[in-house]
Amino acid sequence: MAETAERKDSESPAPTEEMELVRRARRGDLEAYDDLVKRYQERIFATIYHMTSNHEDANDLAQESFIKAFQALKSFKGGSSFYTWLYRIAVNKTINFLKQRKNRMHMSLNDLDFNAEHDPDLMALISDKTPRRDAGLTELQEKLNAALMKLSEPHRLVVVLHDVQGQSHEEIAKVMDCNIGTVRSRLFYARQQLQGYLADYLK
Amino acid sequence: MSENEDNFEMLRRLLTLKRHEIPPPGYFNRFSGEVISRIRAGEADAPAGMSEGLAAQAPWLLKFLQLFEARPAFAVAFASALCLLLVFGIVFAERPDSAPQPLLQAMAQNDGGAPQLAAVSPTALPETTVQTGIIASTNPVLGLQPVASLFGQQNPLVMPVSFLSSGN
Repeated sequence: MAETAERKDSESPAPTEEMELVRRARRGDLEAYDDLVKRYQERIFATIYHMTSNHEDANDLAQESFIKAFQALKSFKGGSSFYTWLYRIAVNKTINFLKQRKNRMHMSLNDLDFNAEHDPDLMALISDKTPRRDAGLTELQEKLNAALMKLSEPHRLVVVLHDVQGQSHEEIAKVMDCNIGTVRSRLFYARQQLQGYLADYLK
Repeated sequence: MSENEDNFEMLRRLLTLKRHEIPPPGYFNRFSGEVISRIRAGEADAPAGMSEGLAAQAPWLLKFLQLFEARPAFAVAFASALCLLLVFGIVFAERPDSAPQPLLQAMAQNDGGAPQLAAVSPTALPETTVQTGIIASTNPVLGLQPVASLFGQQNPLVMPVSFLSSGN
């Protein structure tokens, strides 16, 4: 997931190749659609997972997003990239789900990968002589997810897309259908909020 | 903006932890297969299909319905308004437009003495009215004309007619 998060848009498949897959999928070619799913499954799943902090919900929502996208392929005009269009479907589905689930939220977190224990930045965060010294990575993970869940959906989405998945402001603006200024102000506000929630771990 | 980035450097480092949260091994090997098999099985449930159709046909209606989901208070207010509207509708429908006037009084008020419509049943008509051949009716053509009898009778009587032939 870390690798996919750092992928840039320039590394996305060639538009012509992608459009050919989309055209074939639109005609009902499930092999072509399988290729499209494989290209974007990790990023779509990761976004939904970071938004919900729940593995099972993320699994259901990611699958439903791909199914919905397949059913709606005929309405895809090609005004944006398939990736952006797919992202919008997944994000809207997730936000609608979160609004309905507001009062019965529970976390079901994925495990941390092996590399987390070797990440110098993270090691620095948990090994300094500060109040967070006793906190292990798992506790930090829980606190971080709990803090993220306190943000409103649009603010959480901006943080997830930018700070976790490494997307540009422009790309986020396209996905969220707003201007770049809005993305920047939301990001600033969301970070401020998070910094407040996680003050003990950021001293 | 770069100053802001510096202010949040620690937070950004902490957020990199999220990138290390990964699903169980082999999860993505199965994922696309599950999606495709669900598509094959036509697992598009009816409500989802409806909402997609609605989104394509009338997006404003879908937004309106989503507003109900997001704010239940709005749904309650809307339902109350509908009930109120229904009650007012019933009350106003049962109220007559104007009080019925007695036919003679209505005729007296008329300059030329021309007959007028009134919500009076034929049996309730005064005898004089019936004798002059004026029929009160909701039909403006029949009701306003004195009826000349085709059969030489001043007061046409309604007779029951049998269509059964006597031979059978």
